[in-house]
Amino acid sequence: MVIAALVSFAILLIAWVVAPSGASVATPDAAQPGMDAQPARVAASL
Amino acid sequence: MPTIDSGDTAWVMMSAALVMLMTPGLALFYGGLVRRKNVLSTIMHSFFILGLVSVTWVLWGYTLAFGPDTGLGLIGGLDWLALEGVTGEPSDVYATTVPHLAFMAFQMMFAIITPALISGAFAERKRFKAFVLFAVAWSTFVYAPIAHWVWSPDGWLFGLGVLDFAGGTVVHLSSGIAALVAALFIGRRTGLIEPATEPHDVPMTVLGAGLLWFGWFGFNAGSAVGANGLAATAFVTTNTAAAMAAITWVTISWLHKGTPSVLGAAIGAVAGLVAITPAAGFVTPAASILIGLGVGIVCYGAAQLRLRARVDDALDVFAVHGVGGAFGALATGIFATAAVGGVDGALAGNGGQLVIQLIGVAVVAVYSAIVTGAILFLVNLATPIRVTGDAEEAGLDLAQHGEVAYQP
Repeated sequence: MVIAALVSFAILLIAWVVAPSGASVATPDAAQPGMDAQPARVAASL
Repeated sequence: MPTIDSGDTAWVMMSAALVMLMTPGLALFYGGLVRRKNVLSTIMHSFFILGLVSVTWVLWGYTLAFGPDTGLGLIGGLDWLALEGVTGEPSDVYATTVPHLAFMAFQMMFAIITPALISGAFAERKRFKAFVLFAVAWSTFVYAPIAHWVWSPDGWLFGLGVLDFAGGTVVHLSSGIAALVAALFIGRRTGLIEPATEPHDVPMTVLGAGLLWFGWFGFNAGSAVGANGLAATAFVTTNTAAAMAAITWVTISWLHKGTPSVLGAAIGAVAGLVAITPAAGFVTPAASILIGLGVGIVCYGAAQLRLRARVDDALDVFAVHGVGGAFGALATGIFATAAVGGVDGALAGNGGQLVIQLIGVAVVAVYSAIVTGAILFLVNLATPIRVTGDAEEAGLDLAQHGEVAYQP
C-alpha cells in the first residue's frame, strides 16, 4: 500500500513536468506604464 | 505509558483546523496585494500547496521531520513513510496525551503554510509549473530538515537548546530567507510604478490578515499541544503582540507618510504574529507588548530598506517573515522566563540563551539560503521559473491558468 501511494504521487509529479507551461494568451494592445494590463478579452469589453 | 486526554486531543485537532485556515487566509492576504490580473494565480499558489504538501507530508515529510533520528540529529528516518506506524495511539515522544495522528495533522498544517509564504516573494512573474516543483523540493530539503533540527528531541539545534515555541525559525525565518533568495533569483517585475506594489484589493488583504490572526491562535496556543495554562499564555501573548505591532506600524506610517495606513495595520499585525511565534510559550504578556513594539519598528524599517534596495520581494515576505522571525527568535532569548516556559533568557540572567538563539538564527538562515538557491537553480534547468514577458504583461491569471478573477 505504501508503494502504491508513492507511485500514485510520482505519476502526478511526472504529469506536472510534462504538462503545458501555460495557456496561450493574446497580449493587450497597449498598457500604460504602471497600469494593470488587462487581459485582452476583458479589456475589449470595457 | 502515554494515555489520551480528551481535552488535549480536542484542542490539538481544533488547532490543526485553525492553522489549516491560515493558508486560505494567506491566499487572500497575498491576493489583495497583487494587481487584479494576477489575483487568481496568487491565490492558487497557496491553495494548491494546501493539497500538494498535505500529500507529501503524509508520504515522506512527517517521517523526515519527526521520524526517529538517523543518528546525527540532521534528519528523521523513513520509519513512518506514508504514516506507517503513526496511529490513533499517542506517540512515546511527541504530545503524549493526544493521538499520534492528531499531532501529525497539526504539524502538517505548519508544513503547508511555510512554502506558501515564500510564494509572495516572486509573485506576478513565476511559472506555476516551476513553483509546484520548487514547493515539493523545498518542503522536502529545507523545511523537513530544519523542523527536525529544532523540534525533534534528537535534533541538533534542539540539543543545543534553541527555543522555538511555534516556528519562528522553522517556519518564518526559513521561508523569509528563501523569499529573499527567490526574489533575487527571479528578478524584478516589469511595468510597476516605482517603487511600490499596487494592491488591487485592500479589503481582501485585511480579511486575509484577520483570518491569519484568528488561525494563529491555533498556531501558537496549539503548540502547547494540550489544553492547559501554557496554551492560555501563548494565546494571550499572541494576541497582545499582534495588537501592539499593528498599532505600532500604523503609528509609524502615520508619522512617516502622513496617513494611518489600513494596509499597514494588516501587515503590522502579521509582523507581530510572526515575532511572537517563537516566544509565545516562553514569555509573559508584558514582554509580548515589547516584542510587538519592537517588531513593528524593525519590520517597518526593513520594508522601507527593501524598497530602497530595489529588491522586488513583491509582498515583503523577507521584511515581515524573515526579519520578524529572526527578531522574534532573538527576543525569545532576551525575554524568556522560567516561570512561563521553564527557561530563562538574558533579562533573567541567562545571557547564554541569547547566544544560542543567535546561533539558531544564523544556521537556519544560511542553510535556507544555500539550499533554496540550489533548488531554484535546478528547477530553472527543468523549466524556466519566470514566465515570458508577454505572459507577465497579460497577467498570470490568464496566461498561466486561463481564467480571470473579475468579469467586467
